Amino acid sequence: MGLDSLVFQDFLVALIVLAALGFSVWKLMPARRRLRVLLAFDGWSARHPSLARWRERSLKPRIARAAGVGCDGCGANDVRRPHRPR
Amino acid sequence: MDATVTPLRIALVGVPNCGKTALFNRLTGSRQKVANYPGVTVERREGERATPDGRGMRVLDLPGTYSLNPTTLDEAITRDVLLGRLADTPAPQLVVCVVDSVHLPIGLRLALEVKRLGLPMVLALNRMDVARRRNVHIDAARLAAELGVPVVPTIAVKRGGADALVGVVEGGRWAAPGASATALQEHDAEDAERVQRELRGLLVASGYSPPRVSPWFGRIDALLLHPVAGLAILLAVLFVMFQAVFSWAEAPMNWIEAAMNSLGGFTAAHMPAGPLSSLLVNGVIGGAGSVLVFLPQIIILFFFILALEDSGYLPRAAYLLDRLMGSVGLSGRAFIPLLSSHACAIPGIMATRTIPNWRDRLTTIMIAPLMTCSARLPVYGLLIAALVPARAVGPFNLQGLVLFTLYAAGIVSALLVAFVMKQFTRHRQYSPLMLELPDFQWPNASNLLLGLWERVKIFLSRVGGIILALMVVLWFLSSYPQPPPGATGPAIQYSLAGRLGAALEYVFAPIGFNWQIAIALVPGLAAREVAVAALGTVYAMSAAGDDLSAALEPVIASSWSLATGASLLAWYVFAPQCLSTLAVVKRETNSWRYPLIMAGYLFALAYLASFIIFRVVRAWA
Repeated sequence: MGLDSLVFQDFLVALIVLAALGFSVWKLMPARRRLRVLLAFDGWSARHPSLARWRERSLKPRIARAAGVGCDGCGANDVRRPHRPR
Repeated sequence: MDATVTPLRIALVGVPNCGKTALFNRLTGSRQKVANYPGVTVERREGERATPDGRGMRVLDLPGTYSLNPTTLDEAITRDVLLGRLADTPAPQLVVCVVDSVHLPIGLRLALEVKRLGLPMVLALNRMDVARRRNVHIDAARLAAELGVPVVPTIAVKRGGADALVGVVEGGRWAAPGASATALQEHDAEDAERVQRELRGLLVASGYSPPRVSPWFGRIDALLLHPVAGLAILLAVLFVMFQAVFSWAEAPMNWIEAAMNSLGGFTAAHMPAGPLSSLLVNGVIGGAGSVLVFLPQIIILFFFILALEDSGYLPRAAYLLDRLMGSVGLSGRAFIPLLSSHACAIPGIMATRTIPNWRDRLTTIMIAPLMTCSARLPVYGLLIAALVPARAVGPFNLQGLVLFTLYAAGIVSALLVAFVMKQFTRHRQYSPLMLELPDFQWPNASNLLLGLWERVKIFLSRVGGIILALMVVLWFLSSYPQPPPGATGPAIQYSLAGRLGAALEYVFAPIGFNWQIAIALVPGLAAREVAVAALGTVYAMSAAGDDLSAALEPVIASSWSLATGASLLAWYVFAPQCLSTLAVVKRETNSWRYPLIMAGYLFALAYLASFIIFRVVRAWA
């Protein structure tokens, strides 16, 4: 089944639209609510040892970022990476 | 960095415009805007740096302040952080007090106040390169001996310019100078005189000689700050800027537009017909691509703003406009927040924290969205290019003239609203503008490029992020449900978006908006420029066959009347088409009352202005 198949195209389009909808809702969500959702994820992932690595590497920095960022509408609060001298 | 030991907490403190933020960038490698006018650092800025011993350091860039006796919110934050009064920010273990070597007395006065807190401190003599060029002499060793803290020269804007400071900090060659009994007391006249005597003694001991002032600077300032000639020059500078936005950007915009059209044509030709091809051609390329075209205009606008900022001209513009702003009831301190609002209203509203009087601050917040933010530029650019002929009016470009008028309309209406708000305020206090005018300098090329790159990144991340996602959703709403068998009109008329547009058209018909505009205004609430992408998608979905990926501009030129275009321009001068701005107003005022009042008055103004413009232009045309 390739791109010639309308069913396959419908399936792909549905996936893209759902992803875009989720992304739009996430980005347009107030910063405080977004932080609450992330903290809820953090609490949930803490109970699953298999997610420990993802939690440390991905979720924790995201929470730190969300706590420091106001609205995400502009670049005024962009995230800083630590500078490592050579 | 070793995770088991806590990093050294360092706070950078200094007067505004001493190069503190540049030093912060040098230490942490972070990218923050380096401005030439005071008061740029309002938000908390923290960065990290690895150290050879594995401990690392966490550097906090505190808001600029002239004294630890605060008059504004951001100055109070600096004092509270140093005193460890903020719950989420422990007191620093080391304070790096940054002073501008060229203007040593101002910075050293603050350093004396900080020293009295008893915190371990290092004094960074910044801008030493400029100081040497201007024959400023400072004996750093004598100053260190007199002050009792390490004193290191730094050049924050130069690679390796903070090495001496890093060496002292990493080597642990610093100690607490010992707190003074009067450190936390309220300062009185006697105390101020004591500090002043100590300061004079330090300046004599360190052999400080004031900077040589070029006679040219005085002459240029006399011209730029002249009440009449200065205003004329300011208007001319702004005028040239808006002319350039249209004239210089024309060629690169055409290239991007041609590339987008080719990409759309290529995609349509090489993909089997179906929903996926329609999504890519009409939703992604036709929608997000139509906003991407405006990148050159954004770059040119910010090139001018950053160059003026870096050259030291903007604080002079603030000084010039102070009297005008005072006459409509605005504080002189409102200039910088309002200027920031030309990039985006959100940092502008946040920058109002530098205004000590609540009424003044509220007035500035309420008028900040009337400043023409960069998100409006794609909307203005599209409509002007489509409806205003590109012909010369004397030495000027007519399109540039219209753009200048729209920016001026935003500023004039903001002043009028401030004037009206002043009539409802009793017992006004005048809040004077205190500005240190920086030296003139050629804009730093790396600062300029970095600033432009930041703006490009922000714009591209919006086009590739929220705008793209919203266009995919809008494409879906414009495509489904599909038209019934035997339907004769464009498919979009039978879709969810088409029905929504038809319903909204009743509301917007009196101001000349068609159903396509009505649809575009809805996703445009997320961000103003989304409306352009939405128009691209809606018109692409309304067309058929070969026209699917056609450019938006000729479609608008042929299907809209001048009155409709002018009405939409008037709408965008006033309408609060940005939910993020309203959310920030709610956060800054801690109340729903003010964002609701703001949305109400701005929508009412937008509708009224569009109604009048539509009727007048239609009657005239």
